[in-house]
Amino acid sequence: MPGPSITFTWWIRRLMEQVIANGLYLGAQYALIALGLTLIFGLMNVLNFAHGQMYVLGGFITYTVYGQLGLPFAVAVICSGITLAVIGGFMERYLFRTVIRRSHREESTMMLAAATAFFFDAVMLLVFGEKQRGVPKIVKGVFNDFGVILPYDRILVGLIAAILILGFIAFMKYTKTGRAMRALAQDRVAAQLMGVEVDRYTMIGFALGAMLAGLVGGLLVSITGVNSGIGGPISIKAFMMIMIGGAGVVSGAIAGGFILGMMESVGLTVLREYGDVTYLVIFAALMMFLSIRPNGLMGKPWG
Amino acid sequence: MSHILEVKGLTKRFGGLTAVNDVSFGVNEREILSVIGPNGAGKSTLFKLISSFLKPSAGEVTFRGERISNLAPHIAARKGVVRTFQETTIFRNMSVRDNVIVAHQLRARASLLGFFAGSAEARRDEVRFAESADEILSFLGLDAIRSELARNLPHGHLRALGIAIGLATTPTLLLLDEPFAGMNHDETMKAVAMVRKLRERGLTVLLVEHDMSAVMKISDRIVVLNFGEKIAEGTPAEIQNNQRVIEAYLGVEDEAIGL
Amino acid sequence: MTKKLIGLVVFLLAVFIAVPMLIAATGRTDLYYVFTSVALLSIASAGVWLTFFIGRINIGQGAYALMGGYVSAILIMYYGWSFWWTLPVAGIFCAAASILIGFPILRLRGVYFAMVTLILTEVMRLLALALPITNGAKGITSIPPPGPISLFGMTLVPDFATLQNPRIAFYYLSVMLMIACFAVLYRLVHSRIGHICMSLQQNEELASSIGVNIAALRVMAYAISSFFGGLSGAVFIGATQSIYPSSFTVTDSVNFMLNCFLGGLGYVFGPMLGTLVLYLGWNLLFSTGEFQLLIYSTAMIVLMLVLPNGLLSLGSFKRRG
Repeated sequence: MPGPSITFTWWIRRLMEQVIANGLYLGAQYALIALGLTLIFGLMNVLNFAHGQMYVLGGFITYTVYGQLGLPFAVAVICSGITLAVIGGFMERYLFRTVIRRSHREESTMMLAAATAFFFDAVMLLVFGEKQRGVPKIVKGVFNDFGVILPYDRILVGLIAAILILGFIAFMKYTKTGRAMRALAQDRVAAQLMGVEVDRYTMIGFALGAMLAGLVGGLLVSITGVNSGIGGPISIKAFMMIMIGGAGVVSGAIAGGFILGMMESVGLTVLREYGDVTYLVIFAALMMFLSIRPNGLMGKPWG
Repeated sequence: MSHILEVKGLTKRFGGLTAVNDVSFGVNEREILSVIGPNGAGKSTLFKLISSFLKPSAGEVTFRGERISNLAPHIAARKGVVRTFQETTIFRNMSVRDNVIVAHQLRARASLLGFFAGSAEARRDEVRFAESADEILSFLGLDAIRSELARNLPHGHLRALGIAIGLATTPTLLLLDEPFAGMNHDETMKAVAMVRKLRERGLTVLLVEHDMSAVMKISDRIVVLNFGEKIAEGTPAEIQNNQRVIEAYLGVEDEAIGL
Repeated sequence: MTKKLIGLVVFLLAVFIAVPMLIAATGRTDLYYVFTSVALLSIASAGVWLTFFIGRINIGQGAYALMGGYVSAILIMYYGWSFWWTLPVAGIFCAAASILIGFPILRLRGVYFAMVTLILTEVMRLLALALPITNGAKGITSIPPPGPISLFGMTLVPDFATLQNPRIAFYYLSVMLMIACFAVLYRLVHSRIGHICMSLQQNEELASSIGVNIAALRVMAYAISSFFGGLSGAVFIGATQSIYPSSFTVTDSVNFMLNCFLGGLGYVFGPMLGTLVLYLGWNLLFSTGEFQLLIYSTAMIVLMLVLPNGLLSLGSFKRRG
């Protein structure tokens, strides 16, 4: 005969399984957002304020191609990725490179990044309006087993995100481009002396980072939808992730993404009644964590 | 004779790696003592430990009998132990003279508030600092370039400016971080002469260096590190004939020892 | 020296005589509110500039402006304090808070410090929402205007409630505070303290090797910066007579930083000019309706490409050649 204590443990276990499943799903997408941001930061010491806006733009492109024009979802997401890659490449070549070369202090890129974030916001507001946009579900049905309830489309998106993360790691490890970028992130001057074409790979890196933002935006529009106002908040979340893990480090971005995903998932379950308190707790915890570990979990010493 | 600086059982571990292992030696007053060793021997870790930029895992450093190894760098500097940096570490966007003037902070008699309000004491300080800076610059032969922006200086001058900044704090013991690195023969000779002049000024000099030939010329005594441990200590002549030292250097690269 | 003096006189004439005369001539008294805002925001931006001066990117000034505003509002509404007394107290409260917060977080550098301060702004907003004394999202409203200041029976400042146009009074008050704050900043930067701060900005390790207590100096600069933030927030709530958790948000923190960039990080008066240009520019573009943000951001990008070292670098270019 199950006593009250057994029922309670059972309930806690169910809850934990659900929380972990949600956390993993959130973590996978967060990690992918953080990867793009950390790549750009690692390569050129630029904190890209417009990263969230790039994500939103990716979402709108998928919304247009898949939701409005009716082309397959995969095509739409690829369109998002390619468009953002092109935009990212142009931004590096014609905006950031100029400012970095001509400015006395490298922080000046922050102003440029903030201005481009405003610019993206303005353009998206004009083109897509301020309404929340959604698209038809990509897969229907809900997974309900082992005490976990999770819609199939979330599982699919989580899996794709995980595959993209693995693909990105493999790309950085095994291709010539990836290795060149890692050398560049480690020591710009040394990489240049070793014959790495610094300008070219910086541009590729920026494009790649923007592409990742576009891809996640495209993937997630199928679940959460998109609206032109969420760019800023997404950027802040992405900043938090790379700070937890350590800015400029691939493994740090992934760790930061999953940790924030878990924290949100746990927080929203435990502190559900208190609403915003979840974020207050997360923010306060992060500030304390960084005071103890100024470079995050695995960051470069000089952020 | 008692040592002015005493290094006792100094050990530094980074995770599983022991960069400096149980190193002990002493520095006499007005001596030039060099710490040498092949790449990765733990020289720069030892240097940072002595200048209080790193905290030791075990052991201690005492200066005039007082423990300095757990102090903040600016307190160690106040006690008279001052380090210089390699060339890249100067105040890049200030003139040479301003670099030296600002480095006089330790000698300020006026408080920060006094400097803010422009008190009489503060104005006297400013005059003293400017005079002292000019004296140091001419002592090191940097007169001609005093109004240049520091970031425009060539290598040799940067090294000298680093020393000038150190001198402005009126140290008792000056720690020099690889003062001859990257210099050609002529530049090295000039730098060697400069370090000798520092001793004439009454300073004790401890330097960490890779360039063996310069070290042999300049040092009263030499401490040799290898794999974080002290393998020899003695006069240049003793070190030159020490079998362990020769092996340590030959094991890494033959030309560095200059034998 | 005389050149500086002439500049100062021209500036004083402009803000105390030319602006009020122009406004009187055009009849647009609403512009007083705009210029009051510029003056107050430039005080907060001056604080941010000071943290830039010691080599830290501060995106957290909104937190202190909000804190200062609430301290003033709470003291006036719940404890019956005079508005005037709450100004220094709000500033000192923020400075004290920033010392506690600053000791751990000022060890962070570069983007880490920037991000933590950004989060600090958000923490303060959420705190204002959550704490009982701040009255949540409803905020504190109907704050009475400043009372009179008398010294030995002589009325130095009249009761703002009795004034025909309190906007002018707030304008003069804000401008005077702005001048005082920039005078402090100017003196700080051009005294030996400024040189030491500069050494900190350029190389903290070297600064500490020449005996500078870098931790203490960083906290000091940050405390002054936060004092400015708190002061500006406190005067602001006097002018608007209300405060909400959304009165100063991340956007404001970012704007304070942008003001410094736009004016020029190398110039003491950069934040003042930057605030004027950005705030006025934004308001002037209001008539462009939905294109406001687009034009504003495009102009900002172009300015950054043309003058990456700030508007004031224009002058030094000319001098050089």
